[in-house]
Amino acid sequence: MTCGKAANASWSSAYPMAITACVLTAVLAMPLRHYLDLANIVMLFLLVTFLTALKLGRGPAVVSAVLGVVLFDYIFVPPHLAFIPTDAQYMVMLVVMLAVALVTGQLTAGAREQTELACRREEQTRRLYQLARDLAGALSRWDMQRALDDYLRHSGYRAMLHLLDANGVATTPVAEPGLAEHIDAVLRRGESIEGDAAAPALFIPLKTPARISGVMVVSASGPASPPAMQDREMFLVVASLAAITVERLDAADEVQASRDQYASERLRASILSALSHDLRTPLTALVGMTDTLALSDGRSADRPTPEMLAAIRDQARSIGHMVTNLLDMARLYAGNVSLRKEWQLFDDVIGASLRQLRAAHPGQPVRTRLAPDLPLVEFDAVLLERVLGNLLENAVKYAPAEPTIEVDAWVDGRDACLAVSDRGPGFPPQRIERMFGLFERGNPESSRPGVGLGLAICRAIVEAHGGEIRAENRADGGARVTIRLPLGTPPAFEEEDEPG
Amino acid sequence: MSVEINVLLVEDEPHIRRVLNAVLAEEGYRVYEAETGARGLIEASTRKPDLLIVDLGLPDMDGVEVVRSVRHWSEVPILILSARTEETEKIVALDEGADDYLTKPFGVGELLARVRALVRRRARGGDGVPVVSFGDVKVDLVRRAVTRADEPVHLTNIEYRLLAVLVSHPGKVLTHPHLMREVWGPGQAENSHYLRIYVSRLRQKLEPNPTEPEYLLTESGVGYRFVA
Repeated sequence: MTCGKAANASWSSAYPMAITACVLTAVLAMPLRHYLDLANIVMLFLLVTFLTALKLGRGPAVVSAVLGVVLFDYIFVPPHLAFIPTDAQYMVMLVVMLAVALVTGQLTAGAREQTELACRREEQTRRLYQLARDLAGALSRWDMQRALDDYLRHSGYRAMLHLLDANGVATTPVAEPGLAEHIDAVLRRGESIEGDAAAPALFIPLKTPARISGVMVVSASGPASPPAMQDREMFLVVASLAAITVERLDAADEVQASRDQYASERLRASILSALSHDLRTPLTALVGMTDTLALSDGRSADRPTPEMLAAIRDQARSIGHMVTNLLDMARLYAGNVSLRKEWQLFDDVIGASLRQLRAAHPGQPVRTRLAPDLPLVEFDAVLLERVLGNLLENAVKYAPAEPTIEVDAWVDGRDACLAVSDRGPGFPPQRIERMFGLFERGNPESSRPGVGLGLAICRAIVEAHGGEIRAENRADGGARVTIRLPLGTPPAFEEEDEPG
Repeated sequence: MSVEINVLLVEDEPHIRRVLNAVLAEEGYRVYEAETGARGLIEASTRKPDLLIVDLGLPDMDGVEVVRSVRHWSEVPILILSARTEETEKIVALDEGADDYLTKPFGVGELLARVRALVRRRARGGDGVPVVSFGDVKVDLVRRAVTRADEPVHLTNIEYRLLAVLVSHPGKVLTHPHLMREVWGPGQAENSHYLRIYVSRLRQKLEPNPTEPEYLLTESGVGYRFVA
């Protein structure tokens, strides 16, 4: 039994095939007519009719039977090549052959129907299995809706899910009042109902032992009508699969929520410890130095030295830098930063970051290499400037002895890339993967001021843009951080018509 | 400077007021102080200052309000001070007519540089200088001619219009929407990528090092600024 293929040849080819088979039999049997008994030649025609009934169906078989009798009578019964229906016994032959054709055709048709039914069931089961697998893999309600859509599209239906959250409140309001009424009724009664003319659909509750988590509304995808009777059982199965999925997703949400809460509590603890240790230390130094100045006030012999003033300024600046980073981090992790993405060039943000760097570290050599014709990239300029600023600041801070910092920009496949490299000691190899974590520092006991936020902020910003950031040590020494942002499709740009 | 220059400082934080007052007085400016926006508006109308420094976070009213009110009757240069939480307000204030901004914390050198640039523009009689030069570039706004090291530079119509708007406001931060309006006309705000591309082309033609511009500066997320 083969599924999926049409077992019946089409009408237009079935009859010619039946006729051809008869004629061919007659032609082949012609040379044998002197050796074979007439009764045996009849057997040949009977066989052809039988096979025709089996393969081509009832109609062609009847044609085959009649034609067989005619050919037999005309060719094989003496006198040859003439119709002389003298003998009534050939009428018996005709009746037998017709009977064989009809009975065999009937049986075959029945068997074929059975086969097709079995095939349809198998297909249905296979697709249901596929749906169950898709639903098991669904990570969101959106995935779930898509799996259902995929499944139902084949059968010409569509389903809408109206889900309730854990508190029993609808996640999306129902627009049409007719629909809302039926959905409420299903939720109240807990059993499926059929809609009326205003809402021609079948309403099935998504029931799990614990609760009713929503309603599935099924309607035909063409002209609006409720599903046919024979398909309803299938929808009940689909609804129960969907109900299990909703329950699983709800549980996953709960786990995620408690995990988020744990992470935010840990973040708060880390910020507190960073504030208490890393900010107190420079603040203590600052207070100490200003106290010294206050004590020396008025005595011209102890006038504040330029070194001391510079030290105070540096300490204050580094505190300012840390506070900025902490604020950024708090904003980014609170999740309420909306990106102001615009299509622009890397040149702008690189130029602006380098100007900041020059203001803080005059004379710092930087080499920029920008690939020619860099395309427009969509990003938030202020945030990307923070990323680049942090990377440049790190390069200056950790690689002061080997001063040349390199900034590169290029396009690689579907990404626009931006890299900052230095010739310093590089990242500690065993911690390189963790450098972008919150409050991670290359050397935790480093005397350089900082709380280990810079790279974490960079990662948060780059990932908010759908990009990625990677740290590596260069083969010939030094650290390198590469940012990749997806290129996307830039808006159209039309050149001016006439040159000025 | 023989003529005394008056600066009005509208800032509620006494420490910052004290520091700014000391620094500006040291430079020879006469400084008037106001703690609130309302007080600042009164002082601005009576003292007729040559420069206004306005903090965005005032206790009684928004710094943007102060800028808007002053702009009704005066073209006096306005420098705004903002903390990081007021970034979007900063853009609004610039669009309302403020000339420049400084983000706290800022250094004294930075502050004085901005103040000097704004006062100089005021002293020169504001905009409308026929020839602007920067580096080895000269822009003749009357003859619509641009030269670099005395060689003529070919600019397209749009490139020239953009350059003319920028160099007519030296030291002033011009926001993206403002530049789009001035060069491309109203209703083009969503096409700001044109602006980025044309600024980049101007830099290629006029800046000694286009990747580290010295004259056509980027103010990330805000706009552009021309400094001579």
